[in-house]
Amino acid sequence: MPKCTINGQEVVVKDGATIIEAIHHNNQKIAHYCWHPGLSVAGVCRLCMVEIEGNPRLQIACNTVVSEGMKINNTSEKVKDAAKWGLDFHLINHPLDCPICDQAGECGLQDQYMEFGKYDPEMAERKVKKKKVVDLGPTVVLDTERCILCSRCVRFTDEVSKTNELGIFNRGDRSEIGTFDGKELDNKYSLNTVDICPVGALTSKDFRFRQRVWYLKDAQSICTGCSTGCNVKVYFNKEGLFRVKPVFNEKVNGYWMCDEGRDIYKFVNKNARLLKGKKKKPTGFEEFFPGALAKDISSLVTADPGKVAFVVTGQFTNEEYDQVFSLWTKKWGSKNIFHWLNSPEKQNEFDGLLLRGDRNPNTQGLLKRLKDFGISTQWKDLITKINTHEIDTVVVAGPENPIWFPDFKEKLASLAKAKSLIWMQSSNHPEFENVPAGTYLIPLKSFVEKEGTFTNYSGLDQKFSKVTTIVSEALTLTEACTLLAGENLMIRPDPNVLIAAHPTADRVTLEHRKKNEFVFRRGAL
Amino acid sequence: MSVVQRKSKENEWYLSGIFAGLWITGKHLVKNLLNKKQMPTLNYPEEKYEYSPRFKGNHVLTVKKDGSLRCTACMLCATNCPAECITIVASEHEDPTVEKFPIHYQIDILRCVFCGFCEEACPVDAVRMGPEWQTPGINGAQFNYDINHLAYRPQLKGGIQTVLDDEERHKSGI
Amino acid sequence: METKLLSEHYHQDDFQNLAGYKKQGGYQVLAKALKMTSQQIIDEVKASGLRGRGGAGFPTGTKWSFLPKNNEPRYLLCNADEGEPGTFKDRLMMERAPHQLIEGMIISAFAIQSAKSYVYIRGEYNEPIRIVEKALREAYEAGFLGKNILGSGFNHEMDIYAGAGAYICGEETGMISSLEGLKGQPKLKPPFPAVQGYLRKPTIVNNVETLAAVVPIIKDGAAAYKKFGTEKSPGTKLFSLSGNVVRPGNYEVPLGYPLKDLIYKLGGGMKPGKKLKAVIPGGSSAPVLNAIEAERATMDYECLAQMGSMLGSGAVIVLDDSNCMVDMLGNLTHFYHHESCGQCTPCREGTGWLNKIVSSIMEGRGRLQDIDLLVKVADNMKGRTICALSDAAALPVLSFVQKFRDEFEYFVREGRSKVRGISYAQMHH
Repeated sequence: MPKCTINGQEVVVKDGATIIEAIHHNNQKIAHYCWHPGLSVAGVCRLCMVEIEGNPRLQIACNTVVSEGMKINNTSEKVKDAAKWGLDFHLINHPLDCPICDQAGECGLQDQYMEFGKYDPEMAERKVKKKKVVDLGPTVVLDTERCILCSRCVRFTDEVSKTNELGIFNRGDRSEIGTFDGKELDNKYSLNTVDICPVGALTSKDFRFRQRVWYLKDAQSICTGCSTGCNVKVYFNKEGLFRVKPVFNEKVNGYWMCDEGRDIYKFVNKNARLLKGKKKKPTGFEEFFPGALAKDISSLVTADPGKVAFVVTGQFTNEEYDQVFSLWTKKWGSKNIFHWLNSPEKQNEFDGLLLRGDRNPNTQGLLKRLKDFGISTQWKDLITKINTHEIDTVVVAGPENPIWFPDFKEKLASLAKAKSLIWMQSSNHPEFENVPAGTYLIPLKSFVEKEGTFTNYSGLDQKFSKVTTIVSEALTLTEACTLLAGENLMIRPDPNVLIAAHPTADRVTLEHRKKNEFVFRRGAL
Repeated sequence: MSVVQRKSKENEWYLSGIFAGLWITGKHLVKNLLNKKQMPTLNYPEEKYEYSPRFKGNHVLTVKKDGSLRCTACMLCATNCPAECITIVASEHEDPTVEKFPIHYQIDILRCVFCGFCEEACPVDAVRMGPEWQTPGINGAQFNYDINHLAYRPQLKGGIQTVLDDEERHKSGI
Repeated sequence: METKLLSEHYHQDDFQNLAGYKKQGGYQVLAKALKMTSQQIIDEVKASGLRGRGGAGFPTGTKWSFLPKNNEPRYLLCNADEGEPGTFKDRLMMERAPHQLIEGMIISAFAIQSAKSYVYIRGEYNEPIRIVEKALREAYEAGFLGKNILGSGFNHEMDIYAGAGAYICGEETGMISSLEGLKGQPKLKPPFPAVQGYLRKPTIVNNVETLAAVVPIIKDGAAAYKKFGTEKSPGTKLFSLSGNVVRPGNYEVPLGYPLKDLIYKLGGGMKPGKKLKAVIPGGSSAPVLNAIEAERATMDYECLAQMGSMLGSGAVIVLDDSNCMVDMLGNLTHFYHHESCGQCTPCREGTGWLNKIVSSIMEGRGRLQDIDLLVKVADNMKGRTICALSDAAALPVLSFVQKFRDEFEYFVREGRSKVRGISYAQMHH
């Protein structure tokens, strides 16, 4: 544990830590582009220059290991000047197309130039022109002019995804990022290159030009794409969710997430959602307020709870399972709770990095609670019980994201054989058009609209909180089941409501940004 | 606000004040009847007042040499707009040098406060405030100006080109 | 007079061949060296004070002793990627005396206990590649390479690798990258090659001349070698004299030899009617010396360093009064712009920027502040990158502008060269 001095402050760092890690650990600022904590050290941007006592030359902080008694200074005029010129060197051939560039607002060059820049550019020569809008593959678009050749993306494909698609071609200021002829940047983690790109050189096809980033707010959540449970940040505004980015969590996902997980926002937005409670009639659907419909049809459930089966997927929170299972088992003494897991044969698949075959965020939580409540039911029993009319009514808590449920149509058809089917789900599905008359659809809330806990594949409980409201009328699973049980919803007084238990920290750090209400601190770097 | 009330004998004789006022009115009436050309009143709408060409009235989207929009859909005008009257939907342009352009650009002129911030914010001189000020409409929808109206309305005679030349800018390496 | 320690027999045509080389006592030093211990050889080289002849002038014995003391395989690489403009000594050495290089390499490899070495030859050197290849085959056939060399139990394999002509591959880590099959880009230091080099194994990289100089050191001992040259820069060195002198060529002289004598005595002086204006003493990346400094300079590491220049690879480029310094600098900045590998930002963007500023001065678009800007940009490129290419590009700019500012200002004001009186368009049609 060497002890060093950073700008006069004594800091104890881990063995083998570099200066830049020590500086970040000490919550001090240092300009940098190419260094990324999840990748190897390239040392090419030459911005993180620091002065070390006894060394006449400035050293880069990312490749210098802290030694005992080292005296480091990164606020001297010499260091500031080096950072200023380093930034100017980055900018001389960088096109000034911030208005068109999607990264504007969360751009490393913009942020760092505001903080460390020279402010009087002296470049009066022609810029080097390179290719714009290069199609790299199914997910990513490249702008070679904007690229500052930090090589983060190249190192990502070399070291993390291990697919080696990207490379730097040519020499000098003609250097360009690119792929070999006929090859595409096409791997399951390709969009991470967009996240780590400090400028707008790599942009995601999915998000490109859809929103300016300063119109978006961000909030942390948990990815519901698979049982890994990556920590994510969702970006949203009043129009809905626009993108998902990973958040560092050493225990779960590190710095990365997969491309499929980035699509989860699409099943949360209004256009993919069930907006109203619906009752199927021979002539079509009749729409109701969801809460009213649930209360209305409670007689179907309460009349004879023993003839009601409850089907649940692994996409709900532990709190919802607890409350609903206790309602079912304790109030009615019914153990007709069946679980529906998608593609059970793929449950233990794993691609070696993050993505798992089990596409439910909370399978472990569900199985644990089923066990706790002493429920051990088989799916085929449900089908026989429906066929023998032992069960009249089936209440289904369906999947949030039906594309990962290949047996959706088949399950829907087999459950529709029951006398009455109450299907509760957050997203809409084209198969709902074909349900028999007498089927009820009740919209549920998605993961961004509620709070709770997911248990990931390794048994790690991860709590997440509400982000925003998209379908305001939708119910949580607890609310829906309470109404189905014929009870009323009530707002329970929160004794802690006036206590600021977790005051939210000021997320804006730069003084000049605090004045701009649109800009929030983003994890661009 | 306090009003000082002067009570004096003179004030009681209000008739003199009335006649003094009537005298001024009558003087101007005679003057205007004798010299019609200097009369400030216009016979609107047959006659219209000529505003300065710099008058900041309704918006105009400028066009390039080939008649396409200059706007790059950067949304700085919409961000800057204090009345939040500008709505833009951007899209990918097939020409990689243009890259981004608005497929939908709408100004709700009834919300607009004509502050001119959009003009100031625009980095490419794409939105300007034109001299037009008299723009009636029959219903609310007619005041939502779209690209067709903003850039190509008949009064603009094929659109307004700015002095900036994109090809020249590209050549000089900007 | 020349002191021909290495180049004594270069004029003999059969010195290329094994037979001719052996006639002059070739490979006897190897036999002597193999009887010594490797530590003795390292000590001998250390004692001789031999400094790297490639450019940086790092003491060779010290470099060898940096190798970690373990049983990992080590590599010896011979840097024959002679890319520095104005340098052509390695080419002569490989063409005229390939066996001298091979003998030096085997001795050095024995000293550092390396079982494998490579000669990394610049791709454009077709003739040297052919000659060294032939010599290598002869050496294998004669048993100087391979298993159990001369019955000493020492095994050594040697190979040739032809580069593709990148200047940056003359930098040792760039060369290692190239040899590994990667893009020729310098690697971050630390770790240094002596710890983690070729294939992440300890590696020693030495210049052709350095390795060849090991032969006379072992032959006559360090003390005899130290008789030549100065105290801090012992030995002899080949200088590649070029430019407007009467007899350009390679000259081997002891270090500390006056530059004046090199030009006027050995080189035969300036061409008739020309006057000495400036000398670039150590390859294109060395700061230029003006005529007054050139009169005083002696060719050793210390004197040139004191004058703000460097000995570098020993390429002496002589400029006369008809050379336009702006045009000359344009040439140099173009070279460095072309050769920057593009890894570190200050070098990648800076070399291009310098080239553009000099070109716009030459094309008549220059402004007076551009001359100061050249200095500012070069100043900020210095010492900010992984390898020394950035410094190499910046140093000539700084010295040219400092010493010949009037020519730059004249070019900006008048749009034509001060010495040649014509514009850029006329100079380059």
